[in-house]
Order: sequence, then structure tokens, then C-alpha cells
Amino acid sequence: MKLHLYLSLIPESLIVSMLPPEEFGYYLAVGTHQRSRGQAIFFEVDPDFTNDYFPLDAAKARCVPHKDGGPRRSVYASIYRVLENVPLEALRKLYLTTDDGRVLSLEPQPYQPEEGRQFHLYQELCPVTPIVVSRLGPIEFCHFITGPGQPLFLPRIVFCELKIGELALDPVHGRTDDLPYPNIAHLRDCLLEVQKKDQSTKSYVRNLIPQVIYRVIRNGFFIGDRNGFNYYPIPSLDALEKQHYAWWRSALMSSTR
Amino acid sequence: MTNAFWIVPLSSLVALGFAWIFFKELMRRSEGTDLMVTIAGRVRNGAMAYLSQQYKVMAAVFLLLAIVFGVLAFGFDLQSRLLPVGFITAGLFSGLAGFFGMKTATYASARTAQAASESLPAGLRVAFRSGAVMGLVVVGLGLLNISIWFVILSTIFRPEVPSGDTMLVITTTLLTFSMGASLQALFARVGGGIFTKAADVGADLVGKVEVGIPEDDPRNPATIADNVGDNVGDVAGMGADLYESYTGSIIAACALGAAAYMTNLDMQAKAVLFPLLISAFGIILSILGIYFVRTKDGANQKELMGALGRGINISSLLILIAAAIIVHLIGLENPWGLWGAVAAGLLTGMVIGKSTEYYTSASYKPTLTIASNAQTGHATVIISGVSVGMISTAIPAGAVVLGTALAFLFASGFDLQNMSLGLYGIGVAAVGMLSTLGITLGSDAYGPIADNAGGNAEMSLLGPEVRKRTDALDSLGNTTAATGKGFAIGSAALTALALLASYIEVLRAGLIKLDRAELQIGNGGPTLTSEATLTELMIFFEVTLLNPLVLMGIFLGSMMAFVFCGLTNNAVGRAAGRMVDEVRQQFKADPGILKGTSEPNYARCIAISTQGAQREMVLPALLALFLPIVVGLVMGAAGVMGLLVGSLATGFVLAIFLANSGGAWDNAKKYIEEGHFGGKGSDAHKAAVTGDTVGDPFKDTSGPSLNILIKLMSIVAIVMATVTLTYSLF
Repeated sequence: MKLHLYLSLIPESLIVSMLPPEEFGYYLAVGTHQRSRGQAIFFEVDPDFTNDYFPLDAAKARCVPHKDGGPRRSVYASIYRVLENVPLEALRKLYLTTDDGRVLSLEPQPYQPEEGRQFHLYQELCPVTPIVVSRLGPIEFCHFITGPGQPLFLPRIVFCELKIGELALDPVHGRTDDLPYPNIAHLRDCLLEVQKKDQSTKSYVRNLIPQVIYRVIRNGFFIGDRNGFNYYPIPSLDALEKQHYAWWRSALMSSTR
Repeated sequence: MTNAFWIVPLSSLVALGFAWIFFKELMRRSEGTDLMVTIAGRVRNGAMAYLSQQYKVMAAVFLLLAIVFGVLAFGFDLQSRLLPVGFITAGLFSGLAGFFGMKTATYASARTAQAASESLPAGLRVAFRSGAVMGLVVVGLGLLNISIWFVILSTIFRPEVPSGDTMLVITTTLLTFSMGASLQALFARVGGGIFTKAADVGADLVGKVEVGIPEDDPRNPATIADNVGDNVGDVAGMGADLYESYTGSIIAACALGAAAYMTNLDMQAKAVLFPLLISAFGIILSILGIYFVRTKDGANQKELMGALGRGINISSLLILIAAAIIVHLIGLENPWGLWGAVAAGLLTGMVIGKSTEYYTSASYKPTLTIASNAQTGHATVIISGVSVGMISTAIPAGAVVLGTALAFLFASGFDLQNMSLGLYGIGVAAVGMLSTLGITLGSDAYGPIADNAGGNAEMSLLGPEVRKRTDALDSLGNTTAATGKGFAIGSAALTALALLASYIEVLRAGLIKLDRAELQIGNGGPTLTSEATLTELMIFFEVTLLNPLVLMGIFLGSMMAFVFCGLTNNAVGRAAGRMVDEVRQQFKADPGILKGTSEPNYARCIAISTQGAQREMVLPALLALFLPIVVGLVMGAAGVMGLLVGSLATGFVLAIFLANSGGAWDNAKKYIEEGHFGGKGSDAHKAAVTGDTVGDPFKDTSGPSLNILIKLMSIVAIVMATVTLTYSLF
């Protein structure tokens, strides 16, 4: 059976599996006996990728069919500092899995920077998981976080941008009706802080259970470092309703529990 | 029997004829794709499986009670010898109405979804006219049953009593037959309420909370049972409930009319005919109103609501005009007073409906307050929901008080001493309120049809435009379902009030039957039983607040309302628990179900809900049936009057509280889901979901079940009145 290599973000790990992406996502979400549940977000990695940091040969050697002939679902090659050791070039599609195992695949596309947007809300997914407010666009933010000149920096980061509705224009009076974030007053404060230009980025939620409310993703997912940047746009609402309806319904449910 | 009487059976046949036309019109429509047909077929088969099981149990219970009534009638001469048959036909007709209504509703869901793929007006038309089948079948069969028995009792089995008493005995005998409809309503409403919430809660707890699959997802084994439950609870249950109210209020008004004119036979006949004619014309005008329900494509919620409201308002306005003409044409005394009583009843119903809408719709402050309180957590959602429910009892209770007072005063010519005519006015008010049931029940039954259409569209993966339309129809259905519940409770209260007033007349008829032609009242001389005033009868039976038996009865009645609610709520919890076990077991036994590669065992979940409903309703049903009998035997008529007053007063406000709390919680959650206070996924939403879950059995099981309790206890008391008179300890 063909071996697949996956970089899972929740939790950060490199996994060898005999399952193709859709089945792997389903397995991660609900488990072998369908008794567990939970989102999964993972990249498919070039199966020929190698790096001495990972004992990939040993993992692949262990990834053999079960005695009953069934496919081996997962052999963990590493669970520590995985993201920084998998180059961007080795990454293929990004897969978003809902609590009940529906899988949506996202293709990487070139990112066209937006002009004139004052505020951004980023949910970092790997290797750390805060939500931060920023004046920086995604590419600048990525460079800022991964820049070695910063007192604190990450070697690489995966994050997504979240919707902030009217707060993007008016942090003080903007309506927050459809924003499911906790402690909205603090979010307003954070936006006002970065508006003062004393700092470009401010933590809004320091530590978060790694779960994404898919319906508030504004444009898509980003992965990058100071040398490279990949963008995985999420389909439009219209496309989600028309072409990916089963996933979209499930995604709406995923964020309600 | 005057020629005008024949309008009554004729109008019932017209109702059945139009129900047939609407049904055929529905069946000519396409049911959509193969998947839509399959899904609709599953729901239909499940609904019929439930009805089949329920009717089997009911047949056994009816047979047993018919034997008991037979023994009382033929062995002890304490009942009409026709009671065993009349009791069965009332139950049979009510059951038939439920059967036809539910059959139509289950045929309509896929067709509504398919029609919605053409346009919104087409979807509305299919769903509403299918709901109207239920409304017309209920009023048609209800009035037909009354007509047939009226003819039989007036001609073939005319009571052998003095001519002044004949009409009173006929109408009170008819009233005892209503026990069949009451028993059928008990099974349909309480059993249906337990079924629907066991399936709903069971499906949600495992499907949504544990496994994380969306609502109406075909992978959930309980999803079809959930859809079946909508029909079982809100179509068959609501239909049987209102069938009982409809027939009960008409016969009670006839009995009170007969009692009001014991010494004037001509006027007595007219007083008995008047409620029947109001109901007959109500049918015709309901049909007319149905044709006014239409809308344009792309209509918003307000316009959709306006379309439904237009039909109902036109019917109501026309029945007011018709009542004015009828009351003058038949030559009743105090015609404008009686017209005023009809108007008071209609207005009471409208006020209760509007009040329900105000307290449960997210367009108004109470529900918005609950939604807002969700931002501060689960506890504040519960506190504000309970508070809104409690406060919401004020307007309906005030409306009933005012409506009753006005009906009494109008009918009695503002003469407080003229109790007989005043009580007749209350009976007529109840008839007025229910006169347009053909269309109002149609709008109630529309709700579950639109809900199922939405479910069918989801499961069949129809396009977003269709789902948007079915969502709009469904959203309207949620409002009509909430107002329908308010209307059902209000009508139950007014009917129970009329039945309560009739109880004393049934006691009078019982005394006549027991050959007690004269009564010794107070220290005066003997009074003829047939000529005793209501006040004299109350003195005779010692129905006064100073009598501890009355007070004890009031306490027992109040207690009964709460115990009944507690039992039905617990029943939902237990039945839902069994459903949870089954759904978990199916997911565990076959991993392909969650993957979508194998089909769940839907029938097993339906069977579990059915068995749960039948099993769990036994204790509350037995309590409701036996308490009035036991109280009658131990505490006599005075104790029974206290019991009925206590259960009516407490049960009515409790039912309003439960239904409105549940409705408000439900819509507060939906309001948040529409994108307010954080929308889906927010902490406020999680708190609102808790409120909705608590409110589910409130609004769909316990609240509606109380309608049955307050009417059933009255009917049981009425049926057992002669037994109470003969064997009571006090």
C-alpha cells in the first residue's frame, strides 16, 4: 500500500500513514472506533521528503498493514519541532477536518496583498497558539514573527486571519454581533493599542485550545518564515454552500460545541 | 329539529370535501428526486408505524373502558346506554382526523421542498394547504360526529324524560361521549409529546454533542425519528388536542344553552342550535380564508406572516358578521349580547396568540433580553427564560378573565343574577374562539410540514436557493407553532371553563336520571330539580369556599398540574436516555454509519421512541383519569368542583409559562445563531443552547400535555357525575 506523509498541526506532529488524505482526516477526527472527535488540520507532505532530523525510515518501516490486512493508520515519526524542520517546498495541500470527519482540501495560491486594511486578527496555529491583533498584513506579520531581529521569534509559523467585522474600521463603536470571540472589550482595547502605532502587534488571547471556528476565517491559512510564504485560500461562502455543502454544514456545527 | 340544523352536517361534509380536494391537489405534485422520495417515505412509514402502535394500545384501552361504561350503564343504570358506543365513535373520529392529518403532512414534506425549488409562493401554498387538510378534517369530523349523535339522540334514542329536560339530557349525554375524544387526545398529545422530545433530545445529544454531526443529517440513526416526532407531536397531537377542545366547547355550549332555557322550549332549541351554526359557518369561512393565503416570490418573514395572518383575519372578521346575522335570523333573545360573547371569544383567542408571539418571537424585547443575557452565562439564560415565561402568563390570564367577564355580562344582559345565561355566554365565547379552527389549525399544522420540508431539503442536499426558501418557510413555521400552542392552551382553558360550568348541569341531569325530581335546598321548601337555579344547585352541593372539601379539591388540582408536568418531563428524560443508548450502540456496531457508507437502522429508533412514549405516559394518564373519580367518590361533587378549579387555574398559567419559556429560549438561540451576541461558536451561543435544551420538553411535552389534563379531568368528572352522586362519601 502507498505510504503518505502528513504534517499535523493539532497537535504538531509528522505522521506516516497508509490512508489517503480524506480517510486520514476522518481517522484523526473520530478515531478507529468513532468514539473520539475533534478538528484536525494537516498538510500533505511530499512522500519522498527526507530530513535527518526525523527518523523517517524507521517510521516507514513500521508502517506496515495490520495482521488482518487493514491499512496502518498512523505511525508518528516526530512530535517535536516538526514544522520548522519541514521545508515549505515539501508541503502540498492543506486539509481542514471537522469534528465528525468531513475533510476540505485547500490548494496553495499566490497571495495578493490588500491595500488600506488597518487591522488584522490572526489566530496562530503552530507552533504556538495565541490570537493576536496586528496592523501588519499577513506577509509582514509572518516576517515580523519569524524575523531573527526580533527579541522573540519563531522559525516558522502557520496562522489564519479571522474576521473582525466593523471593528476593522471602528474599534470603539463597531458592532460585534457575529463575532464569537471571548472578551470583546479586550479585543477593542487591543485594537486601540495597535492603532496608536506604539506597537504593531498585540496578544489578544494568550493561550487557546487549538480549535478554529471555520466560519470566521476571513481569507485563508498562511504558512511562512523569513524566506518563504504560502497561502491557502478558503473557498467563498457561495462556493462552500454550493460545492462543499456537507463540509460547510459540519464546519458550522464544529464551532458550536 | 329545525331545517337550519342540517346546515351543520352539510358544512362538515363541505369541510371534508375541501380537505379531499386539497389532498388530491397535493398528491398531483411531484415529490422530487429519488432521494427526496426515499427520505419522505422513511418519515411516513415511521409516522404510520407509531400511529399503528398507538392505535393498538388505544383499542385495548377503549375496549376496556367501553366494558366499564357498559357495566355502569346496563348493570347499574348510572350512564346512558349509548355511552360505550358514543365514547368509541368520538375517539374513532378524533383518531381518524389524526390519521388523515398526519398522512397528509408526511406526504407534504418532500412536495413542499420540491415546490420550494420552483418558488417561495409555491412552497407556501403546498405546505399551508396540506396543513389546512388537518384543520378541515378535524372540524369536519368533529362536527359530523356531533351531528350524527344529535340526530340519533333526538330521534331514535330520544330520552324518556319530561319535555323540558329532553334537550338538557341529550346535550349532557353528548358531553359524556366527549370522553372518547379526550382519551384520544391524551394518547396523541402526551404520547406524541414524549415521542417527539425523546427523539429530538436523543438525536441531538449523540448526534450534535457527542459525534458532532449536524441537524437532519442522514447519518444520525435518530434523525428520521426526530422528523416523525414533529408530525406525531405537532400534527396528530395538536390536532387531537384541538379536536377535543372544538367538540367539547360546542357541546358544552349546547348543554349550557339547554340549561339556560329549561322552561322555554322554543328558545331552548335556538340556544342549542346557535353554537352549532356558528361552528358550521366557521368552517365555510375558514375555507374562504384559506384561499387568501398567498404571497409573492422573495417575500420576507413579515410578508409571509402577513399572508397567513390575512387568511385568519378575514375568516375571523367574516365569522363576526355571520354571527350577527345568524343570531338575528334564528331569533334568539338578547342577540347582540350573544354576538358580543362570540366576539369576546374570538378576541380572547387573538390576544392570546399575539401575546404568545410577543413573548416568544425574536422581534420583541422579552426574547431579545434572554438572548442578551446569554452573554453572561448559562444561569442567567435560565433565570431570564423562567422570568419571561412567568411574566408572559399575565396577558393570557387577563384575556381569559376579561373575555369570560365580557361574555358573561353580554350574554346575561349585564344581570349578574342571571347565571345560566351568563354561563351560556362563556360557552358561546369558547365556540367563537374555536369557530375558525379550520384555518387556525391549518396554520399550526403548517409548522411541522415546513420543518420536515427543510429537513428533507437538507438531507437531499438540494441547492442553497431551495434551502433558503425552505428555511424561510420553516422559520415562519416556528412562529405559527409557538402561537398555535398559545391558542391551543387558551382554547383549552375556555373549553375547560365551559365544561366546568356544564358539570353542574350534568349533576342536575344526573339527579333527574336518579329520579330526584325535587331537592331540599337550605331551609326552604322543596325545589324542582329541573327548575333549580345554578345558585340553588351550588348551595345544594355545598360548593362554597367555606367548605373544606372544596379547598382540599383546589389544593389537589393545583398539585396535579405540577405533578403531571414533572412526570411528563421525567418521561422525556428516560425515553431520551434509551434513545441515546441506541444511537451510541449503532455508531459503535457499524463504523460505516458515521462514514456514510452504510445506512443506520432508523426503524429501531422509531420503535424505541414509540415504546418509550407508550410506556412513559401510563402513570400520568392513570393519575389524570383516576384522580377525579377518587376525589368524586371520597369528597363528592364539592370536592370535584374544587379539583377542577384548582387544576384549571394552575394548569392554565403553568401551561402558558412552560410553552412561552420554551418558545422564547428556542428563538433566543436562533437569534444568536443568526449572528448576534457572537453568533455560532460563541459562549453566548453555548449558554443559549442550554436554555433551548431545558425548554424543549417544556414547550413540546409538559406545556401541551397540561391542555389535556385540564380538559380530561373535567370530562372524567362529567362522565362519572352520576357515580359521584350515587356513591360519594360526602
